[in-house]
Amino acid sequence: MSFLHIHNVHKRFGSTPVLKGVDIAIAQGDFLVLVGPSGCGKSTLLNMIAGLDTLSDGELLLDGVRINDLPPAKRDIAMVFQSYALYPSMTVAGNIGFGLEMRKVPRKARREAIERVARLLQIENLLSRKPSQLSGGQRQRVAMGRALVREPQLFLFDEPLSNLDAKLRVDMRTEIKQLHQRLRTTIVYVTHDQIEAMTLATRIAVMRGGELQQLGTPQQVYDDPSNLFVAGFMGSPSMNLIPGRVVERDGEPWVALDAEETQVLLPVRRDRDALRQWYDREVVVGLRPEAITDPASADRREGDVHEAELPVALVEPTGADLYVVTSLGGKRINARMRPGGAVEPGSAARFAFDVTRMVVFDPDSEQRIRSPAPDPA
Amino acid sequence: MPNAASRRHMGARERLQRWLPKLVLSPSCVLVLFFVYGFIAWTSYISFSDSGMLPDYTWAGLRQWTRLWQSWTWGIALHNIWVFGLLYIVACILLGLLLAILLDQRIRAEGVLRTIYLYPMALSFIVTGTAWQWFLNPGLGLEKTMHDLGWQSFSFHWLIDSKMAIYTVVIAAVWQATGFVMAMFLAGLRGIDGEMIKAAQLDGAPIWKIYLRIIVPQLRPVFLSAVVVLAHLAIKSFDLIVAMTGGGPGNATAVPATFMYSYAFSRNEMGIAAASAVFMLAVIAALIIPYLYSELREPRP
Repeated sequence: MSFLHIHNVHKRFGSTPVLKGVDIAIAQGDFLVLVGPSGCGKSTLLNMIAGLDTLSDGELLLDGVRINDLPPAKRDIAMVFQSYALYPSMTVAGNIGFGLEMRKVPRKARREAIERVARLLQIENLLSRKPSQLSGGQRQRVAMGRALVREPQLFLFDEPLSNLDAKLRVDMRTEIKQLHQRLRTTIVYVTHDQIEAMTLATRIAVMRGGELQQLGTPQQVYDDPSNLFVAGFMGSPSMNLIPGRVVERDGEPWVALDAEETQVLLPVRRDRDALRQWYDREVVVGLRPEAITDPASADRREGDVHEAELPVALVEPTGADLYVVTSLGGKRINARMRPGGAVEPGSAARFAFDVTRMVVFDPDSEQRIRSPAPDPA
Repeated sequence: MPNAASRRHMGARERLQRWLPKLVLSPSCVLVLFFVYGFIAWTSYISFSDSGMLPDYTWAGLRQWTRLWQSWTWGIALHNIWVFGLLYIVACILLGLLLAILLDQRIRAEGVLRTIYLYPMALSFIVTGTAWQWFLNPGLGLEKTMHDLGWQSFSFHWLIDSKMAIYTVVIAAVWQATGFVMAMFLAGLRGIDGEMIKAAQLDGAPIWKIYLRIIVPQLRPVFLSAVVVLAHLAIKSFDLIVAMTGGGPGNATAVPATFMYSYAFSRNEMGIAAASAVFMLAVIAALIIPYLYSELREPRP
């Protein structure tokens, strides 16, 4: 029995479809992140869960109760907004307590609840200030306090970190994660930042154009993308997507990738059965930068590393890693190598491909080519 | 030495550029100085002089001021401006805010409605006053129409009732200015973050509480502007009353401005009129100067 069930939800503005039948179910205590480029419908979906927008079709179930037609105040849901939406004429304490006041909680219980939340978020010394006297990070905390104080069944976050500067954003991200681990609340969180999605979520829903592309744990979405969009969207730097061809060698499928003068041949390890149907057909091969390394730092525990010598076009040191750019299948590809290696642009270097992490896509439908397997979910 | 010559040439041009704005602006500055501030000073002096029908520069000390405050009509005028001003400001703000809130519900044809509400402001007070005078005239307007339609017992005599006449002026003035106040409030409402209203909805606040507790408190600067604009309009009000009631019946709708006019031009008491004018200026200045000061000073960092 799922806790929040988004069942075949449609939304149309006039004749323009915004959501085209989204199905998501999560369990109590889950941290669901809706992620996708702007205009993918993630914020609309969040507003519909909050009751600020109506459904054109479909059903929303919260703890087994249909909440489609309940007004926002009756849904037992709290939301943190992108602009924080604090009430400027009230103090911090007034802001946090407003929801309780509207629910006719007596003054004494209200004050205790406000103090408890203020302690939790370390904003006790700010309670008598007005929002205009707070910094961005402090406003963010107050906005979270306003949501937490009511102890609702479900928390909604609408891009809450996008107005903060880069360093504060990382700090607040950690705090939200800690808060979730401590309170074990169910959260639906909208962002366009895939790093936020990866770090916070227990479940990620990748959306595009009003359709759900993939739903899974961060690791599933990262290692096992279901189509080219998810593969390219999640991860930074993004996955190398290399045009190639499936060939047969000793009765097994391999992929052939064109380099400038040579050809790189890599054995297929995943979805081997499905790829037997693809001999001599064009495919797109997906390899994350960390699956292409220098031979010394390749992970050989899986025992399937294949090496090739390729020209180095460019070297990008980041301090922790050295990204080496070469060309395969007519595309620039990134390899992640150990810094300090003797890799020079213009010369050749040995690249090690971890083929156990290789995924293959159909270039026409953009879907993963998968062997039919028992669904892991 | 072509170089030095061109430098001198540049110097002349720069000097001209520096002086040109001052040259262009100075005639109007001189005119304003003379006709506005000069005559304010002149009127102030007259209020301390022995002037009657014509200016008389004999110093009379506070004699005209004492006579002003002993005048029975001035007392009526002051009482009327209180009643009129208070009702006018309060009614305009309440109605304007209500209309703005109703218009802010993203209704259809909002642009048309907004224009209709704003139109009265485009009329001069003389036109408004004349129109309302016809409309409220028992022998001509509303009452006669009702009688013609067969409602013989209908009566609406406020315009010629010396106790109620001032309220008819309030009605006309409110009709004229409400649209303007509404436009001010509407602009204020449009500046409010929509997410804040959503947050309040999720907090469980009913719509009237959202307005009362969250939105209206944020409109404080609009309230201030509206009060200042309406207050000085009220104190200056002259043409509306002249057109509607002429200050009558009797002196029932006299206000300081009509008092000043009648003492200066029909009662040949220029000194008293000048004193009343200076008094009105002082009241308006007391309202406007702090407001301008708070609006024009640099925003705090």
